[in-house]
Amino acid sequence: MNLTPLLEPNWVKAILPEIILSLGGMLLILFDAFAPRAKQALAPLALLVFLGTAWSQILFLQDGLFFGGTYEISAITIIFDITFLLAGILAILFSREYLQREGIEDGAFYALLAWGTVGMMMMSKGLDMLLVVLGLEILSICIFVLVGFHRRMPVSNEASLKYFLMGAFATGFILYGIALFYGATGSTSFPKMAAWFASNDVTPLLTVAFVLLMSGFGFKLALAPFHPWAPDVYQGAPTPVAGWLSVAPKAATLIALVRLFDAMAPVLPKVNWMSLVAVLSVLSMIVGNAVAIVQRDLKRMLAYSGIAHVGYMMIAMLTVRDDSVAAVAVYTITYALMNIGAFGVVSLLVKNQNDPHTLDDIAGLGFRRKFFGFALAMCMFSLSGLPPTAGFISKFYIFKTAIESGHTTVAVIGILTSIVSVYYYLRVVYYLYMKEPAAGTETATSAGIFAVGALMIAVAGILIIGIMPSPLFQAAGNAARMMLQQ
Amino acid sequence: MPLLSTILWLPIVAAIVLAFLPRTSDAVVKGWGLFSSAAVFILSLGILRGWEDGRAGMQFVESKAWIPQWGITYGLGIDGISLWLVLLTTFLTPLIFLSSWNVKYKHPKEYVIAFLVMETAMIGAFIATDLLLFYVFFELMLLPMYLVIGVWGGANRIYAAIKFFLFTIAGSLLMLLAILYLVFQNYHQTGIPSFAIADLYGTELLPRAQTLLFFAFTLAFAIKVPVFPLHTWLPDAHVEAPTGGSIILAGVMLKMGTYGFLRFVLPLFPEASARWANLLIVLAVIGVIYGALVAWVQPDMKKLVAYSSVSHLGFCVLGIFAITQTAIEGSILQMVNHGLSTGALFLLVGVIYERRHTRLLADYGGIAHTMPVFAVFFVIAVLSSVGLPGLNGFIGEFLILAGSFQTHPVAVIFAASGVILAAIYLLWLVQKVFFGPITNEENRNVPDIAWNEIAAMVPLVIFMVWIGVHPNTFLKKMEPSVTHLMTMVAPSTADSPTPQLALERRALSPSNESAAGGVR
Repeated sequence: MNLTPLLEPNWVKAILPEIILSLGGMLLILFDAFAPRAKQALAPLALLVFLGTAWSQILFLQDGLFFGGTYEISAITIIFDITFLLAGILAILFSREYLQREGIEDGAFYALLAWGTVGMMMMSKGLDMLLVVLGLEILSICIFVLVGFHRRMPVSNEASLKYFLMGAFATGFILYGIALFYGATGSTSFPKMAAWFASNDVTPLLTVAFVLLMSGFGFKLALAPFHPWAPDVYQGAPTPVAGWLSVAPKAATLIALVRLFDAMAPVLPKVNWMSLVAVLSVLSMIVGNAVAIVQRDLKRMLAYSGIAHVGYMMIAMLTVRDDSVAAVAVYTITYALMNIGAFGVVSLLVKNQNDPHTLDDIAGLGFRRKFFGFALAMCMFSLSGLPPTAGFISKFYIFKTAIESGHTTVAVIGILTSIVSVYYYLRVVYYLYMKEPAAGTETATSAGIFAVGALMIAVAGILIIGIMPSPLFQAAGNAARMMLQQ
Repeated sequence: MPLLSTILWLPIVAAIVLAFLPRTSDAVVKGWGLFSSAAVFILSLGILRGWEDGRAGMQFVESKAWIPQWGITYGLGIDGISLWLVLLTTFLTPLIFLSSWNVKYKHPKEYVIAFLVMETAMIGAFIATDLLLFYVFFELMLLPMYLVIGVWGGANRIYAAIKFFLFTIAGSLLMLLAILYLVFQNYHQTGIPSFAIADLYGTELLPRAQTLLFFAFTLAFAIKVPVFPLHTWLPDAHVEAPTGGSIILAGVMLKMGTYGFLRFVLPLFPEASARWANLLIVLAVIGVIYGALVAWVQPDMKKLVAYSSVSHLGFCVLGIFAITQTAIEGSILQMVNHGLSTGALFLLVGVIYERRHTRLLADYGGIAHTMPVFAVFFVIAVLSSVGLPGLNGFIGEFLILAGSFQTHPVAVIFAASGVILAAIYLLWLVQKVFFGPITNEENRNVPDIAWNEIAAMVPLVIFMVWIGVHPNTFLKKMEPSVTHLMTMVAPSTADSPTPQLALERRALSPSNESAAGGVR
């Protein structure tokens, strides 16, 4: 038996981002414990940790397979790492003043964001399904706590408990699915499964395994019909957390799904598993967009819009090729900018966090606080996919790959539901600019330099990707090509 | 910097500068809008100076890679079809700022910014030679217009703004899918990905695919025009929009639809266009008559003018789908004409609305006694819209009807009744508002048209007369491009417009009388 050495010589460099984030998280907790009065320094310190991680990616870029071929570092994982770090940085920037205003700032908050990011990085780099689940669990535990971080708020506790119970259930489904996959193929590693699929036929057991896995991942992605937790959890979670939660874990789950679908590629033409995925995608687009119309709570509306957006991304996943993986990578970055940006503006509203954040709260904001209004409007235009924003060009990429892969029907449904979505995104713009708040009921907004900086990043990112998308497309396309060639 | 890029980006640069300008007085804000849009107009005259007569293809071509891996370029160019529409855009925008100089509206800075962004988007849509670039500008113009209607509009503005937006976006998103499919087919055939319109013209499509794509594109443009029965957003949008918004909407934005037919639908899908032309012609003729009849019974001046747009643009669509050289040239000219005369009418309705805050015909009567100068301008605009010989409307309608008669005589007979109906409802409007005794005491002391409004009207009137008496200035520049278009759409009939019609066309312009006489 040929034993590969368990630790490759460069393994430290390979997982340097994870190491920095893990140690940084501990440092943040310890710092808060020993210097409880220096809370001012927590957010800058957390930013430093995230930026240091990003910097280590640039400096010690080390392509290759590690830990006995179970851990892949390649261009695509770096792109996803950057997405996670971007989401984390935006979340920190929006959180700081929000947490201070609510009086719940704590070193643990930032530490959990950092550790959650470690979990996501493991999900995107793991070539073994067990590693993916391990990452997913690290992430989920962080999310349980972050969602319930408003300790004294009933909605926050309720959201946390809901996410915990449902999440535990979903993990169970995923583990069952993996166990059945292992039983059928004899391995949990994606490359070995791919080799097995290339030379063997599918059994009914595998169909069951696939359905179980899709149910579990569907829950994590908030795909309809596994979505009902999302609006409740987003509504209850501290708003910046909701923004982060609606983006980053979905990105990590998607890249793990890409690996699974890629491993199954040889048998996919023979079975109609992907029509199940197509059904989930169509259902998500229809349910998400249709239900979002009747939402008056901004966070719930964004939750339903998020369900629809995962539906769009699943269109690209129907056929795993380099273009579709690149399209998903681009879309997640765009989605991070526009969705965290949108939640970010909502987080600036000064009000009792137990109450719903309704459309009335932003009435007239566009002329009262011009930059906030403009930023939210840009996020809405981007979410509805109007040029010249990043949302347009990314959605365009998705539909382009769908047409090229022959999924015209799903693409047409996607377009039709996007038309519906324009209505509720524009309603936000309508409240921003065309609705005067009833006298004396204006909801105040408060933002310091951190939140304003985050909004600037979001708006600049939306416009830059929207106007000059070529470099990002190039990078994502090359990365996806390299990933699928292996 | 190349000329077209300068004209294209100057308005939006001016808008960004304005956005970052600290709080200033309204006059500075409006002055900046007027100054920058006037500068754009003067620069755009440079197109005429460098114009090469007799060239059919794109001029002032610019091309840079935008998203090279997909073959998407930042490609600009202008030809005889787009030339006058671009100039119409740059011409109308400063007039809007000028005519609303004394109007007090809330948030003037945002108002000016919206119009400048809109100008860039409209110019961009006319001069883009890349399908995706066109699409970006085509949608970009919706956002500022949505805000203009929704923020500065009338009582029912929200409904109108959302209806406008949803109608347009529904069509254009389906067109986006069609664009993707078309490009993909082209890529299959050539092996080179490209969104350049010129590359896509040669794409071979199965009849069924061509029909579907034809309808996806046609739906988007037909909503924009609007073609009956997709017109219902238009009266709402026009009535609720502020005066400037109505002028741009009627003057330029509706032409995106007719321009789209000429630039994309006809040359990209010639067979499907020929097959379904009759459907579009029937709808166009219904639009001509229906628009006129509904305009007739409107109690509200602005709504009347809005429905007259439905009627007049029906003529343009008729001319386009008749697919003869004369009719298409007439259509393009009629697009410009409609921009001038309907723009003028909306402007004038806005003038009187600012003074009296009512647009109901019943509230007026005998205004000519108190506002004589205003009445003169109004009557000129009405006559131009009606198609009085010697003014611009006559030339456009005549060319369309004469050109369409070759291929669709029955349609022309019905459409011609629209000319008569237009005379009825517009002259009825003039009679009700301007003549007779002053029935409403409040109309006794209305101040006459002001200097800035006169300054905005005079250029419009000059061009109405110019096109009316010497249309060849305009036809001459579009002719080679239209001939080229005809070779793409209907190769057999392109080379020889019937001698009789060529004669009529020449006879229309006084300067060519001798030449025409010679032929006789």
